[in-house]
Amino acid sequence: MRRWPRPGDTALVVLLLLPLAVALPRLGGLAGPPELWLTWVGRVTGILGLALMLLAGAVSCRVPGLDRPFGGLARLWRLHHGLGFAAFILVMLHALALGLAAVPASLDAAVATLFPPLSHGAVWLGWLAWAALVVFLAPTFDFFGQPHYQRWKRLHLVSAAALLLGLWHALLLAGEAWPWWLLGLAGLGAIAWRKGVAPRRRHAYRIEAVEPLARGVVELVLRPEGSGIRHEAGQFVYLSPLDESLANGRGEEHPYTIASAPSDGRLRIGIKDLGDASHALQTVAPESRVLIEGPHGEFFGRRFPERDMLWLGGGIGITPFVGGARDLATGAGPGGHVHLFYLAHDESRAYYGQDLEAIAERHAGFTFTTHFYRDLGPLTETFLREHCPDFTEREIYLCGPPAMNAHLQRLLAGQGVPASRIHSEVFDFL
Amino acid sequence: MSMNKIAYSMFIAFVASLGTLVSIQALSSSERDAADDDALDPITPEALAEHDGAESCWKAIDGRVYDITDYLPHHPTPEAVILEWCGKEASEAWHNKRPGVPHSPRAEGMLESYLIGRLVDEAGEPVEPEAAARIDESTDEAGNGEAADATARLSPAEDERLHRALLGLPLDGRYRGVFGDGGEMQVNVQFDLRDGVLSNVSYRHLAYRGVDYRALDEEDDLYPVWVQHQRLAEGLEGQPLTAIFALHEPERLAEDIDGYSGATLRGNKVHSAFRDALNRGVYSWP
Repeated sequence: MRRWPRPGDTALVVLLLLPLAVALPRLGGLAGPPELWLTWVGRVTGILGLALMLLAGAVSCRVPGLDRPFGGLARLWRLHHGLGFAAFILVMLHALALGLAAVPASLDAAVATLFPPLSHGAVWLGWLAWAALVVFLAPTFDFFGQPHYQRWKRLHLVSAAALLLGLWHALLLAGEAWPWWLLGLAGLGAIAWRKGVAPRRRHAYRIEAVEPLARGVVELVLRPEGSGIRHEAGQFVYLSPLDESLANGRGEEHPYTIASAPSDGRLRIGIKDLGDASHALQTVAPESRVLIEGPHGEFFGRRFPERDMLWLGGGIGITPFVGGARDLATGAGPGGHVHLFYLAHDESRAYYGQDLEAIAERHAGFTFTTHFYRDLGPLTETFLREHCPDFTEREIYLCGPPAMNAHLQRLLAGQGVPASRIHSEVFDFL
Repeated sequence: MSMNKIAYSMFIAFVASLGTLVSIQALSSSERDAADDDALDPITPEALAEHDGAESCWKAIDGRVYDITDYLPHHPTPEAVILEWCGKEASEAWHNKRPGVPHSPRAEGMLESYLIGRLVDEAGEPVEPEAAARIDESTDEAGNGEAADATARLSPAEDERLHRALLGLPLDGRYRGVFGDGGEMQVNVQFDLRDGVLSNVSYRHLAYRGVDYRALDEEDDLYPVWVQHQRLAEGLEGQPLTAIFALHEPERLAEDIDGYSGATLRGNKVHSAFRDALNRGVYSWP
């Protein structure tokens, strides 16, 4: 199955190159003496850098559904991260190249180019934009140690200032303004949506039950107050608990995978105690309210109906498969056969195990196998082949802790399974 | 190397580069501005007004005169906008690229490379006579007495910055220029310019008082003068354009200058023909 180019990626590349394409005829060529080609490099990196910045902002909008042309929100976040990184590097090359381009004229001209009198406000707007970039990217790229997640998130809002200043800088200096208005609107509009509109469009739910599954793992059963969300199996939502008695994370949003079937009138979410917020949620008060934003992701989005499926879930990574299995149980879901391997430490950690077994008993198209690390060690090719002889021919879905994912990717690659047939959605940094 | 490490390294490298640039600039001599003014040709408003079109466009900006003829094709605005100010005091236009918006420091840097002189008053009196005299001495073809002061000052033949300021950045191409005096064409040179480097330097004409030096026999008394002129041309071959200022001190380019200095043809004239060629612009494109 081909994964490239995705429509979202194509759109991004087009938008990224648009300001450059418009400006390029005016920029001359990459030839001639150093002052000329350095100027060219300086301008091109500046144009690309700002376009990357604005697009990084644009893809952070997290509008439900908009992540799918990019292969899911997890991948979109990685794109966002990469775009921001490239922007940061290019913006610095931009300043350096333009400064160096003036060195052949004189050292004074070089310094005056970079640090002109204050009356040349456009250049100083550029510096302010860079300073704002440093403020919110320093913690992102871990310059001086990693701050607390919520603090990092608040600091990341400085990006709006960086975008605004960068845009202003460009509008004063650019020949053609319209591409910048377009990208600026996309970037700043996305932030305005994210911080202004989206929070008000979240769906209110009440916690009907908090069902303990194992030590440190609960399933929240949520009843919609209004219309609720419509989702597919394997998708995830951002959940913000409003319970006032919560020790941590009240009002904070965190991503959790949906474990219920799309046709279920309740939204079920498996939550493992992995941090302050998810720890507090283990004892969240029933009948308190939560806000749900989503759904996002497309874990099962790359369906390939003619091929049977192999699902490999471990730890709390079993949740998308629970959603998928519950979907199968209702008679929906893919047509082919599904074989789910649950990789757990031991039986006590195989939460949802009984539910899954029950579904397997009722449903001929679904086979369920547990694999306990305590008894068998890491999953081997032999074990897989013994229980699922045609596993290399299947469409394979992975979800679990990073070490498990890495082990399985190696194992499958060793069996000649092409990477394009292995699907996983890691959102450990969302 | 992880993304985080690259970002951090680039950040440090960027800040360090800027710091280096700024500190080197701060630590280097800052007396140049004053010196610049000393070395500039005085130009009267009348002289300025003669260069008022696309074929030769001078502008006075903040008391200095710039020959921006070569830059005209590169200026981003329509040519009419910039031609309007040729031969005039154009400070106002310079400081108001758009109303209230001055040209960038970068543009200022570029402008300096087109500097040819400073504007003096109607009487033609330079503000600092010494400075003007020094320039006159170096460009006057009769200026034989410069040797006495040569050690005290930077020789005009070596003053690279002065050369650049005077020449601007001529385009690549083939050039032809002449020097004429007393109703007679004495020197006609042809040369090619590629990336600021001279090649194919030759004389299309070389004469004084009716004697065609190119037609002389080896036995002729004046024949060495022709040889020395050929050496001048050879000496310029492959040199940067600014090397034509060495023609003011021809011993830099040709040996056995004794016979030469007594002759009636001079490096100064050849230099003048080169400058004429540059003023005329490209004769044929490369």
